[in-house]
Amino acid sequence: MTDSDAERFPLLTDPGRAMLKRLREHPHAPRYTMECGNRVTADDLVRLQAFEQFLRETPLDWAEGALPGWLDAHLERAYAQVPAYRRRGPRPARFEDIPTIDRGDLSRAPWDFVPDDAALDGLIVHKTTGTTGQILRVPTHPVVSSGSFPLLKVVLERLGVSLTAGPGDVGVVLVGWQRKAFTYPSVTPQWGDAGHLKLNLHPDDWRDPDDRARFLDDLDPEIYTGDPVAFEVLLGLGLRTRPRALVSTATTLLPGLRSKLEAGFGCPVVDLYSLNECNAVAVARDGVYELIQPRLYVEILDPQGQPVSDGQRGEVTLTGGFNFYWPLIRYRTNDYACRIWRDGRPVLADLEGRAPVLFRTPTGERRSGLDVTYALKHMPLAQYALHQATDGALTLRYSGAAARPDQLRDALLEVFGPNQALELVETDLFATPGEKMRQYESDAVT
Amino acid sequence: MVHVGAVVHDTLMELGGPEPTIEQLRSFAPAKADEAERRRLRLALVTCWLFGERGFRSRDLGARALEFLSSAELRELAGLVDAAKLIGDGDRREELARLALRALGLRPDGETPAQAQDRLATVSSVEAARLFRESQAAEQRAREVREAMARKAAQEAADKAYRE
Repeated sequence: MTDSDAERFPLLTDPGRAMLKRLREHPHAPRYTMECGNRVTADDLVRLQAFEQFLRETPLDWAEGALPGWLDAHLERAYAQVPAYRRRGPRPARFEDIPTIDRGDLSRAPWDFVPDDAALDGLIVHKTTGTTGQILRVPTHPVVSSGSFPLLKVVLERLGVSLTAGPGDVGVVLVGWQRKAFTYPSVTPQWGDAGHLKLNLHPDDWRDPDDRARFLDDLDPEIYTGDPVAFEVLLGLGLRTRPRALVSTATTLLPGLRSKLEAGFGCPVVDLYSLNECNAVAVARDGVYELIQPRLYVEILDPQGQPVSDGQRGEVTLTGGFNFYWPLIRYRTNDYACRIWRDGRPVLADLEGRAPVLFRTPTGERRSGLDVTYALKHMPLAQYALHQATDGALTLRYSGAAARPDQLRDALLEVFGPNQALELVETDLFATPGEKMRQYESDAVT
Repeated sequence: MVHVGAVVHDTLMELGGPEPTIEQLRSFAPAKADEAERRRLRLALVTCWLFGERGFRSRDLGARALEFLSSAELRELAGLVDAAKLIGDGDRREELARLALRALGLRPDGETPAQAQDRLATVSSVEAARLFRESQAAEQRAREVREAMARKAAQEAADKAYRE
């Protein structure tokens, strides 16, 4: 059943209604592929305003060699209310002795991590494959999804970029570059229903490829968010208008592209380290990643789950976060970094996140990892990884008892064409301990 | 017909008193008793028989005994286990004996407080019923969250400022 605008936009104002009409009926608008709204209610709006204030006023309250002051209450509540933790019995006295969890735990039984005292009426579910290819259904809430806006605003303010979009303006445009993607127009209630768009820059989504620049120049958004591949395409459009910033997420932004984008757009390019499991964790600044959530404790663990000394490399492991449907305790992210201290604050250095991966088809066309994600999203896979060899041959390693190889093959050949060399390997082994699991890798030249 | 209030009175006096008031004994002589009340009164009689053990006599244990005989715990146990079973079944007999000892502030010879508590938790019908209720509630909640997630996964989500 399709929702109505009243459900998607509970607080829609007259300027918001006009903005949606403009975004939907613009002569150069793309063919949107879905409807999606903010679902923010009046109560949610109050909570979002409080969240923004909390982000502005609350420092990271942990000192070198100590645990944050809020951590004990978080653990106490989680052990009392969250079935997955409670089932373990009494909480170990030392934080380091609490067992870790990983994406597999969250993927197998996501409901087990939802606290008993969390009301389910505002629940929504985001589905994602992330970088490990392990399907994740994230229980979340409109306040948590829309929490990305104040988080972005406060982070950019600290970097000297103020966001002032209001009624009649377009605030954030999220761009991607995929053969198929979910795209929609929306509005942001905490910014006076400023316009918000999720767009695909792939020409197939537009009536005329030149409409991309016409549309975006006419909207003149305050900022673009997206991944490096999409930003490179955006740069190639030759826009006349200039955003106040580009915010890169989801995959690693390499320094060379960053400089090129900064020169091309004449604005800062901000690299955000963000995860579906707990939203934005850190922002790149002066060669390191500064932590941005006041209630998220970050430690670095060795393959045996033991904390390493500051400055040593290991797996980024998170406790806390602001998704109240998923209070994390020692969640291993499969991302790797060192934690060091700078000016009395913990930061992440040498973060190895998700490298952007492009594949090529036998006819030389480029395909992004997201194209593969889209093609396989309805398959009953527990986990998968796709590798392209130098000769272009693909190997899909996958797990999932109900997955049918013929369907997997059809889905991938739909993306790469019928002449693509493809091998399917059913396996449970995706990475050795201590090694980052890579969902997409390509040795082929694109 | 047994006058339970009189038995309770005499038992408390045997334990060393103090003498219970008429008001304190009123619940052991109700004007009308339904099946739940009759079960409670039968259990009170069995417990009095237990408190009649020679070793408990004249040790100022009357107040503690009265508190147990009037307790919600005894009422709950009576609802879960019939008095006859508390005599005939070994585990149930042990359960009542341990509850009675704990009520008097005593424990079996040779056991530490932790061992006594642990053993009581193992044989306790009240504890088992509580755990069962808790596990039923946990299962019910897990089912609700699972179903809500399945339902919501099929519906639209909410927008975000950036991809994660």
